[in-house]
Amino acid sequence: MAKMMYREAVVSTIAEEMERDDSVVVLGEDVVGGMGTAGGPEAIGGIWSTSTGLYGKFGADRVIDTPISESAIVGAAAGLALSGKRPVAELMFADFIGVCLDQIWNQIAKFRYMFGGKSRCPAVIRMAYGGGFNAAAQHSQSPHQILTGIPGLKVVMPSTPADVKGLLRQAIRDDDPVIFLEHKALYAVSGEVPDDPEFIIPFGHARLSRAGQDVTIVSSGLLLGFCETVADKLAEEGIGCDVIDLRTTSPLDEEVILDSVEVTGRIVVVDEAPPRCGLAADINALVAAKAFASLKAPPQAVTPPHTPIPFARELENAYLPSAERIEAAVRKVLDWR
Amino acid sequence: MARIRPFCMPKWGIEMTEGTLAEWMVSEGDAFSKGQTLCLIETDKITNEVEAEYDAVVRRILVEQGGDAQPVGTLLAVFADGEASDSDIDAFVEGFTPAETGVAAKSEKQAAAPPKVTEVARAAGGAGPAKIETNRPISPEALKLAEREGVDLSNIEGSGRNGRITYQDVDQALRPAAKPLLRGTAVLPSEDGDVFATPLARRIAAIHGIDLSRVNGTGARGRISKADVLALVVVDDPASLGARPADFVAGDNAPAVEPFDRIRKVVARRLTKAKQDIPHFYLRVTARADALLELRKTANLVLGCKASVNDYIVRASAVALARHPDVNIQVHGEEIHRFPHADISIAVASPKGLVTPVVRQADRMRIDQIAAETRRLIDKASAGRLSMEDMDGGTFSVSNLGMFGVEQFDAIINPPQGAILAVGAAIRQPAEDKDGSVVFESRISLTLSVDHRAIDGAAGAQFMATLKQLIEEPEGLFT
Repeated sequence: MAKMMYREAVVSTIAEEMERDDSVVVLGEDVVGGMGTAGGPEAIGGIWSTSTGLYGKFGADRVIDTPISESAIVGAAAGLALSGKRPVAELMFADFIGVCLDQIWNQIAKFRYMFGGKSRCPAVIRMAYGGGFNAAAQHSQSPHQILTGIPGLKVVMPSTPADVKGLLRQAIRDDDPVIFLEHKALYAVSGEVPDDPEFIIPFGHARLSRAGQDVTIVSSGLLLGFCETVADKLAEEGIGCDVIDLRTTSPLDEEVILDSVEVTGRIVVVDEAPPRCGLAADINALVAAKAFASLKAPPQAVTPPHTPIPFARELENAYLPSAERIEAAVRKVLDWR
Repeated sequence: MARIRPFCMPKWGIEMTEGTLAEWMVSEGDAFSKGQTLCLIETDKITNEVEAEYDAVVRRILVEQGGDAQPVGTLLAVFADGEASDSDIDAFVEGFTPAETGVAAKSEKQAAAPPKVTEVARAAGGAGPAKIETNRPISPEALKLAEREGVDLSNIEGSGRNGRITYQDVDQALRPAAKPLLRGTAVLPSEDGDVFATPLARRIAAIHGIDLSRVNGTGARGRISKADVLALVVVDDPASLGARPADFVAGDNAPAVEPFDRIRKVVARRLTKAKQDIPHFYLRVTARADALLELRKTANLVLGCKASVNDYIVRASAVALARHPDVNIQVHGEEIHRFPHADISIAVASPKGLVTPVVRQADRMRIDQIAAETRRLIDKASAGRLSMEDMDGGTFSVSNLGMFGVEQFDAIINPPQGAILAVGAAIRQPAEDKDGSVVFESRISLTLSVDHRAIDGAAGAQFMATLKQLIEEPEGLFT
């Protein structure tokens, strides 16, 4: 086990996979870091430091700086993937999927289906998502609800450095297109990561991070940590919470969620995206449809309101789900009459 | 800014129109916290503790304990959670109008009731639900429910869009506070990197000591699921059979101290009061049950029901009560209330303790209807879902311990009722036949506990004679 940051887990996994497989290439805006500046390549480093050192090790043929055009990045990744490469493309902000959505939605996600299963498109599109950075409405969103709703894509939302390791390796080796969502606020979080170069976490396999028998809390990404804090606090009162980290929103680990709700009879889903047609609504609908007989209280969702993310610090804090709101939701399902 | 809040006579169930403040557990000036018991309120049916729903200080008590019954909605006390001056409290009491309950209309008897109670639009004679005037958004069904049950909307936070009040919000407000049974945390199953299994499968495997590495996963992508592990649980059992039991050693025998919960407190209070206050006397009769047991098979077949012996006894009691209205009564202070029909409370052992749901107008019901209603009430009791309406009222009780093999027992009267019937098991006993030979017959022991203040021995005895005759000649139950 080595201790490393979430962002270091991203870089080291890409580096290990590039080492192992020549077909893995990296492309994106400023992934070389400092190209064209007085200091030369790698003088500055990409804004998230998630490709540091790759250029020096693998060269310009495999680490490609692109123009500021998300359509070009994702379009090039699609072409690379179709012609036998395993591209790892980076969008600086997940908010920018809008300009390249045709490539993602109508092309990458559809190739295998449109060509009768005869083609594969093993592209990984990494993107930084999430709020809490005072970065306003166009640079703080969590667009996984749009991407999860597209058949043909796999959507990954790791919450720990170890999960980044196991899931990103699976994403690069996967023969289908994978959207890899990294939460900005987690980049500097450290954690133990297995050294095994073959450590892989299969998709659709949720992780139980706290075990309890009274309430099921489902979340992913940054908010998982909030859920764990709440579960630990409530455990002191004798309230036991199952905290489920989805890891991937597509495929969804239906079995682990339903297994848990059949024990607890109560569910709170915590998600960073707005409430309408989102992940929380999706999972609560699943539970209402398939675990109705076990429910002791209506399923609850803790999400932001149905508005853009505000810029002002105080408003953004009020907008994003907090530990207090998660705790209140847990108490609400426990106190249901 | 101080927040001043009223504390009014609550409404428990449709039939509750007034309640008596039996005892205050807090005094003026006391600070209390959420969940603390504030007072005991008695209706003519039950006594219940009232718990604080928030933290505050008792600023004014307007209705002292042990006084007359007060109408639902009457201001009983004023609580405040901040610094309110005495004049603020005075102003609040002066300006208080019971919000939208409608039931709090001041009755003529209650001349001393709190001031300025709104006169509400109610149909003459008090029949029909009170109309609620509100400009808050509320769904039509929610409004109907609130009007029917006299719910105070001002205490409800609407969960709908823009605070709209839904049916579920009103329904929640009508229910008692939840007491979730917590089961606490569980051992977090470790994630073994080589084994691909769900958390529940890991938990079960850990409990039963099953090695997951030798389990074949049949779940999605070859994952080991709950079913895969459970399939092995039985197989692993025989290993534990060979163990020899340890020698006997007398260990610690310290009691686990368990305080009365609220239901037991109420049961304890009511039964103690009943046994102390009511001059009980007992009438014992034994009835031959052979004819009833025989007829039951045929009747159940014809009516297509599964009526129990107890259902037949409830029916027999109801018919006998209709013929002896002297026994079909409630005692309220120095008044006897006589009822035209027999509402029979049946004693049911529920997970929460003894409960007595009511089979209404049982004298007018066929045996299959009684059986269905009893089944419904017992199912509700087992699920802990009996409502006030299910338990409210009752003019007579039947308690049956025959299914446990109890031959005979005496029951305590369930006030304000005047009598309760205790039913024992049907026992085979030898008896002398007409020609002097010995025959065996089934006999049921019946004991009537009677409130002598309201029912005399002869009236009780006549009722028991009719009951005995109905059981011995059960054709009379089908007229």
